[in-house]
Amino acid sequence: MNRKRLNIIYLSLITMMVLFLALGGVFQLGTAGSHTVNAESAAVPSSGQKKKLVMGTSPDYPPYESVDAKNNGEIIGLDIDIAKYITSKLGYELEISSMDFNGLVTALQSGRVDFVMSGMSATDERRQSVDFSNTYYAARNTIVSKKSAVLETEESLSGKRVGTQLGSTQDLYAETIQGAVLKKLNKIPDLINELNSNRIDAAIVEDAVAIEMTAANPNLTMSFLPAESAENGYAIAFPKKSTIVNDFNGVLAEMSESGQLDAIVQKWFASEKDESSDKLLNIDFSILKGYIPYILKGVYVTLLFTLVSALFGLVWGSILSLFKISGIKLLEWFATAYTSVFRGTPLLLQLILIYYATPQILNYDISALMAAGLAFGLNSAAYLSETIRGGIMSVDKGQREASIALGIPYRKMMVRIIFPQALRNILPALVNECIALLKESSLVSVIGVTDLMRRGDFVRSLTFRSFEVLLFIAAIYYVLVLILTSFARMLERRLRRSD
Amino acid sequence: MIEVTDLTKTFGKNQVLKGITTTIERGEVVALIGPSGSGKSTFLRCINLLDTPTSGIITIDGTPITDPKADVARTRQRIGMVFQHFHLFPHMTVMDNITFAPTQVKGMSMEEARVKATELLARVGLSDKADSYPSRLSGGQKQRVAIARSLAMEPDIMLFDEPTSALDPEMVKEVLNVIRGLAHSGMTMLIVTHEMKFAREAADTIYFLDDGKLVERTKPEQFFTKPQSERASRFLEQVL
Repeated sequence: MNRKRLNIIYLSLITMMVLFLALGGVFQLGTAGSHTVNAESAAVPSSGQKKKLVMGTSPDYPPYESVDAKNNGEIIGLDIDIAKYITSKLGYELEISSMDFNGLVTALQSGRVDFVMSGMSATDERRQSVDFSNTYYAARNTIVSKKSAVLETEESLSGKRVGTQLGSTQDLYAETIQGAVLKKLNKIPDLINELNSNRIDAAIVEDAVAIEMTAANPNLTMSFLPAESAENGYAIAFPKKSTIVNDFNGVLAEMSESGQLDAIVQKWFASEKDESSDKLLNIDFSILKGYIPYILKGVYVTLLFTLVSALFGLVWGSILSLFKISGIKLLEWFATAYTSVFRGTPLLLQLILIYYATPQILNYDISALMAAGLAFGLNSAAYLSETIRGGIMSVDKGQREASIALGIPYRKMMVRIIFPQALRNILPALVNECIALLKESSLVSVIGVTDLMRRGDFVRSLTFRSFEVLLFIAAIYYVLVLILTSFARMLERRLRRSD
Repeated sequence: MIEVTDLTKTFGKNQVLKGITTTIERGEVVALIGPSGSGKSTFLRCINLLDTPTSGIITIDGTPITDPKADVARTRQRIGMVFQHFHLFPHMTVMDNITFAPTQVKGMSMEEARVKATELLARVGLSDKADSYPSRLSGGQKQRVAIARSLAMEPDIMLFDEPTSALDPEMVKEVLNVIRGLAHSGMTMLIVTHEMKFAREAADTIYFLDDGKLVERTKPEQFFTKPQSERASRFLEQVL
């Protein structure tokens, strides 16, 4: 029996090693979250190396930052131009890392990025956790409401339902409005939807955003509020005690003196919306024109991610299931505890924990795709280990006896005799798991992986229209699931050819 | 030569073998007979350590296989076993069933294994079924493939655990004929069976087991004409 136990451990170690090597390879190919702007210095290695600064931004806030979805998917905008100008002045190479707005401060604290520019205002609350540069732009707060029920002043908002973007300057301002019932949402397009659905009466956003919102949605109108104090303007955020704040302030001052700053602002505010459609139709799929190739590229990310997590989950789940039937108390206990923890906590929470905690605890800068693959794989392994254990138990005991009697070693017996039969029994359950993974993969957008869902969010923020994009994305997911299902049916037929 | 000394086997509180001592000569064909629950199958399964003996010693050609340090895998390679319910690998063709162990365990080349398997299939009369899956075979055909699969490992000893008990009556004969063909070819064979006529014709020695003990060990002629024990004669009265 000792030999058998050793075999289990040996088998597990080998598989895990192979798996991690394979994962490493895939993730190096798939670091889609960030890209280096200065391409030449990336191509030329050691000689004359520039120091690199990583900037975090949430590119769903045009004109400050957005994804150039109609062209190459690069991140562009007012903030980006300023950042490029400053870093090149200071002799740094700039790398842009895209993530969700709510994760930006965490990213600074965990050292994942060196600074953040994302239309972020320097509030007192944020100052507790990060340092800010001087402000480079102050926006006006603006009320957006329906043309059928216009709201123009702060006083008129009393007793009304008012929507804001969570964590924005306007969110803080809205807190001070007497009698307003606040509803905080994650994205600007969500605000538009809520307005159109009459779930809120008004949204408070900044002027540049309001202009685009009303241009894309003719049933909406805007009213500017008196200018806020410049204290709360947009500023560049740094980790506490960062040494580069003064350098940045220096360049900002110089830019504002030379008129460079105004030039950049003018460029982004002037070049807006000449093509907005006047159609009053609620749904107009023509707005997707030009964005489709960008969205479709997300299919690759979503599929790559699903494949990696499914493979990782299957292999790790198989190992866990072997632990569970090993007869070794310690391994059994471990596998059971593991399953209990990973089934007992939300996947989203595991994902965020792994992504943000790994750099701080292990001092290893885990890529978003790897964090996501890990979280989903670990989670799905917990479920699969139970399924696979059931599958193994369902294989006739005689198969094991016949193998033993023929002198087939434990490992070969498991891999060649028992697993193939178990697999056949649990195939429908595995297909379910894959479909679930494919759809759940949309969760990765919270840590900035540009999968289908995330790309949809970007396009929503660019077009200020939601339904068209969401329906299109839903259709793609559905088609992917259909393909997966028919692929599974083919596989099942193949496995059943021995019947 | 298999020497068994004071072999016992206990499952929980139930002692199934209560001290069996015997010697089986090389090439000897032994038929194990007795009422159900008498320990015949357990005795067989102890010989290739599918069941671990509770106490007692088994040696094969002088090697004590019950020794904790014994090479179990090596012992099992020398012993073929045929089960009541065949236990063919359902996801493999007949050919793959037969060639799997020789190529994977003994390291035989695939070509050699296939030649050998083709030979064996001819010997059990199933040359045309090489590419079939087990689910396409009748019970008797499955059992003949199972025998070929065991023979492919070229064992010195073959164990048959009620090889015809799960078969429809019309298929018993084809399987027994194959087994009969193997007898007296130099291979030691132990056969647990309820086929009295077959035991009488094919076996060199009859072992009559009852309640975990080896009650009688005689030539077939003597056993079937004048059994020595009262229990054996009562058993024969019931089955004949």
